Amino acid sequence: MTGEILFQADNISKTFGGLKAVDNVSFALRAGIITALVGPNGAGKTTLFNAMTGHLVPDRGAVTFLGESILGLPHWKVARLGIGRTFQDLKLFSHMTVLENVTTATESGSWLWQTGGRAAQVERSARIERALDATQLQRRRDTRAVDLSYAERKFLSIARIMASGARLWLLDEPASGLDRSSYDRFLTVLRNEVRAGVTICIIEHNLDIVQSISDRIAFLDQGRLLAEGEPKTILSDPALAAIYFGERAP
Amino acid sequence: MATYIINLAILIGINAILAVTLNFILGYAGIFSLAHAIFFGIGAYTAAVAAMKFGADFAAATAAGMLVSGVISLALALPALRVRGEYFVAASLGLQMLALTVFSEWKSVTGGIGGLIGIPPPRLFGFDVSDPVLFLALTLACLGVILIAIRALVRSSFGRSLKAIRDDETAASALGKNVALLKTLAVMVSSSFAAVAGSLFAFFLSFINVESFVLEVSVQVIAMVIIGGTGTLLGPVIGAAIVLLLPALLTYLPYLPPTEIGSIQQMIYGLAMVLLMIFRPSGLWGYGSSQDRKRAAP
Repeated sequence: MTGEILFQADNISKTFGGLKAVDNVSFALRAGIITALVGPNGAGKTTLFNAMTGHLVPDRGAVTFLGESILGLPHWKVARLGIGRTFQDLKLFSHMTVLENVTTATESGSWLWQTGGRAAQVERSARIERALDATQLQRRRDTRAVDLSYAERKFLSIARIMASGARLWLLDEPASGLDRSSYDRFLTVLRNEVRAGVTICIIEHNLDIVQSISDRIAFLDQGRLLAEGEPKTILSDPALAAIYFGERAP
Repeated sequence: MATYIINLAILIGINAILAVTLNFILGYAGIFSLAHAIFFGIGAYTAAVAAMKFGADFAAATAAGMLVSGVISLALALPALRVRGEYFVAASLGLQMLALTVFSEWKSVTGGIGGLIGIPPPRLFGFDVSDPVLFLALTLACLGVILIAIRALVRSSFGRSLKAIRDDETAASALGKNVALLKTLAVMVSSSFAAVAGSLFAFFLSFINVESFVLEVSVQVIAMVIIGGTGTLLGPVIGAAIVLLLPALLTYLPYLPPTEIGSIQQMIYGLAMVLLMIFRPSGLWGYGSSQDRKRAAP
């Protein structure tokens, strides 16, 4: 349901040696909207993603998804709860075909076969076809990921998370490097998915993209959450703009 | 001459099983093991003991070998596969050294350095299959069944998960895959199937000792997989045939002193590996042209 809190981080911190990568950050992701995490390089955005998905365990703080604590869960368990993510470097299964990449995203069971019988198999097949259709990768289904163009690889990373059935998508710079037409198509895919009930949190450096797609913005700098609110409020704040473009936080 | 060729074909079949089963973890899951000869040995010793002490036929002895090998593989895989690949290489090397010591020192079971002598002729469902032609048929049948099983596994969701782990472990776990469990299962399947080769080997020679399961054998099986093509179904079979036929063919070359054949063979292996890595890193049956790609698809 739109507006309900899907994900909540409370006072989470993560330190690497003497560096506070995430410093006492609290924020919530509400269902059915796109929230952008913005901030200069080194602000702690990807570390925050890693803490949200179990790839890193915060030193302190609480993390909940749908009201249940997910702190300390291994990332594969977090994924099975419905939190999917993409990576800056895409991390596709390079030597598998497009179809295999998407198919394996629907198969989280670890045994020699998937549970659920015929009905579950039909449902998985439907998800696969829908993901391939939405990302226009149908005609490339038998092509290995390593042989795709850059834009197609970006769409494959989205097709994979779409097929996984994740309810919350954490996308790490998903539109970087896309040409204009691919970029427009990309935004359309994301908007359609949000309309279908998906919640998205996106890390993005391009403020034009942030402005055109996000419903809320969380601004991070040096591991701290400096501001959170509607895009026009955050992006028109001269102090935040100064930080983003190279000046230090007050 | 005919008997020699049949015996050579049996050895190629046995080694092909070893290569195909190692390829299951190396080529499809990206798990590099230096202990494959140990699971070969466990299968051989278990089958030999089952036949000698309990009168088990080939099927029962092989099943026992697969069970013991699978269980022991868990002891290696459960702790070692929780970490990244290079630790498993080290752990598998440790197992290779440890198990070899057990093979040579546990005299009451393995016969020690002297090994086990007098393994009874193989019987299958009451029929004697010790005749070389019948035993070759049995070996090829085992290889065929294992190839079919591995093909089915690779094409299943399990196989896709293994390939996903091979290509990117972090992304695989981000899609909900329990990487440690999947790798453990893969090692167990591979080790159990490798034990079939061990059982065939024990019944074929009627004698086994520790010399057949040393580190060099593990390395030789790795060479078979790499030469044939990792991540392909038939590549390891071709690799096994090449590696075993090479010394046989060298004996027919004129002017080669018999005492030097071993050294020349090592040089040819080394040269072949270097040339393959440069010109065809995916192996003889591996990815190259698009035609190769179709052929390599499991």
